[in-house]
Amino acid sequence: MNLTDLILWVAMPVMSLALVLAFVRLARGPTLSDRVIALDLTGTVGMGMIAAYAIARDLPVLLDVAIVLALLSFLGTVAFARYLERRVGP
Amino acid sequence: MREVISGVLVLIGAAFMLLAGVGILRMPDLYTRMSATTKVATLGVGSTLLAVVVYFGELGIVTRALAAVAFVLLTAPVAAHMIGRASYFIGVPLCRETAIDELRGQYDLRTHELESVCFPELELQLPDLQVGRLRIPDGAAAAGRTLAEIELRRRYDVSVLAVCRGSHTIPNPDGDVRLLPGDELILIGPPERLDDVAEALKGG
Repeated sequence: MNLTDLILWVAMPVMSLALVLAFVRLARGPTLSDRVIALDLTGTVGMGMIAAYAIARDLPVLLDVAIVLALLSFLGTVAFARYLERRVGP
Repeated sequence: MREVISGVLVLIGAAFMLLAGVGILRMPDLYTRMSATTKVATLGVGSTLLAVVVYFGELGIVTRALAAVAFVLLTAPVAAHMIGRASYFIGVPLCRETAIDELRGQYDLRTHELESVCFPELELQLPDLQVGRLRIPDGAAAAGRTLAEIELRRRYDVSVLAVCRGSHTIPNPDGDVRLLPGDELILIGPPERLDDVAEALKGG
């Protein structure tokens, strides 16, 4: 089994399973904060999947996509945190 | 060789991400879920990006991958802290098995500033008096006795303003309120006598 097959048939399904578990928490809640951290986790796992896919397909440009995804995910989480706090704050 | 190391690193990363997914699903409350996902998922992504570093091994790509690792390592704790802080303020509950919430009472709920509770207005008008907070430790002599029995007012010139027990507060407690280990007393009195009370209540 070469590296491409290993990533596409073993690593990717495992990461996808992690994504599914995060989505279950996203759907279940129960609080908005739970949903926010579930979204944050999907962003992080998505970044890992992109990096793994960059190796499998020998496409280093995809790394830039992963960096942008990390940036967006971070900004989204911070914005959500501000919004959560502002909603009941001073 | 390079492919083998990189394959192992990707597998480790995938395993960590799966663990993060299990953690976010199985942990009992938001704060433990957050602890599971942020740390573990960050490790997973870091491991996968290290696999990229090992696999490509060219300067431009290595730099970008390491920059991405540094970015994730820097931002994950910040994001987690902001979400945890905001959730604590809006009252997201801790799980029922929680033994101690050390933050309770330490945040000013109006300004959202972290500080020990103080009563500046009160101290302005009463320069000789101080308001203090005192926790009854496990196995203290005072635990299990009533306020009347420990005679704080007669022996130390110190009055009890309130007793904080678990999530509720007994304001202006009577002499027949029985102290339990873990209770927190809000006391008012001369500063040096407050220290005496702290010493006396600590003793076993």
